[in-house]
Amino acid sequence: MSVKHSLLALLYEKPRHGYELKTGFDELVESMWPLNAGQVYTTLDRLERDNLVESPGHDLKDRKQYTITKQGKDELWNWLEKPVGRSLLKDEFYFKYLCASFVDYKDKQRMIQVQKQTMMKDVLNLTQLRKQMNQSGNKTMKMLVEGALLHLEADIKWLDMIARD
Amino acid sequence: MIQTIGLKKVFNTGGEKTSVLKGIDFSVQKGEFVAIMGPSGSGKSTLLQLLGGLDVPTEGAIKLDGVELQKKTEKQRTIIRRRKIGFVFQSYQLLPTLSVYENIAFPLHADGRKVDSVAIHELLNAVDLKGYDKRFPYELSGGQQQRVAIARALIHQPDILLADEPTGNLDRERSSDILDLLSAFHQDRGQTIVMVTHDLFAAGYADRIVLFKDGLIETEVQREDDDYAEFLSRFMA
Repeated sequence: MSVKHSLLALLYEKPRHGYELKTGFDELVESMWPLNAGQVYTTLDRLERDNLVESPGHDLKDRKQYTITKQGKDELWNWLEKPVGRSLLKDEFYFKYLCASFVDYKDKQRMIQVQKQTMMKDVLNLTQLRKQMNQSGNKTMKMLVEGALLHLEADIKWLDMIARD
Repeated sequence: MIQTIGLKKVFNTGGEKTSVLKGIDFSVQKGEFVAIMGPSGSGKSTLLQLLGGLDVPTEGAIKLDGVELQKKTEKQRTIIRRRKIGFVFQSYQLLPTLSVYENIAFPLHADGRKVDSVAIHELLNAVDLKGYDKRFPYELSGGQQQRVAIARALIHQPDILLADEPTGNLDRERSSDILDLLSAFHQDRGQTIVMVTHDLFAAGYADRIVLFKDGLIETEVQREDDDYAEFLSRFMA
């Protein structure tokens, strides 16, 4: 997750001070990803150093305001345009399965079943989260949850496949 | 509320015996929403038929509020079913010559009970079909027909709702609508639901998922609040 780009996105919407960026981030991700104030300020320092944001000064309560620069907007668009490569095989359970096969682990079926149970629980929990997103009206976060559910569906099918192997 | 003990079902087809359920111990508590999943032929729909008293087991017992269904005659099972159980099917099974209102009222007629017009309209509101009472099934979309079927299944305030692939004929968006609706009846009114589905997306709406495999329960998982907190922290990691 790129804190840098999420702060640029928030500043693209409107100028904000540090604490507003923290609360804006929490709203953006429905408070699901923890971000502490320290991370916000260190990221802001780097963004300012790289001329991606600038400060027009302090507000009436003496809080330093930030705005996005032209360079910052370009950086945001470049990041949005760039496709994301994924490391599909570097999965913890894949690796565990590989090692289990390597040592001829006798409880491999049990290992697969327990993994499946965990993933089924994830399905129940993700659906609960989806309901919350429905209630909060956050359609974008709901779509992320839908995406995670589709991944889980594929993972569970794969577990059934290796269980038959 | 409902419990099966050592439930077995063998079908005789052309002299050949097929064992569909091989000893199922399963129970559902009042107010629970349970999803039964499994591949085709794993016995999940047969279990639903037995729970609803539509068929009797070859061996074992089904207790509905302490009453052993398999010991009852077909006529007695029908009476129990009409009073205590609501059914929703994949293919809706609405009566094509009856209006929406008449379809919903049908279970009350069948049981010789007074038709409660207020309750029908209240249910029509709940399933988001206000003003559709005079329409006929052929005038409705698949999702709307399933909404009528849910209203029909709930008009007699059954103790338990049995749903067999209720979203099987619907695309994902319509499925979500139907599942949101079932979920609302479960959460807001405490409706006990047992739903058979092959769709993981649908099963996620339940409190508990029971996985069937070759006529036996393979595994089951339950959603708990403690797990949810742990899940959220892992999901965000």
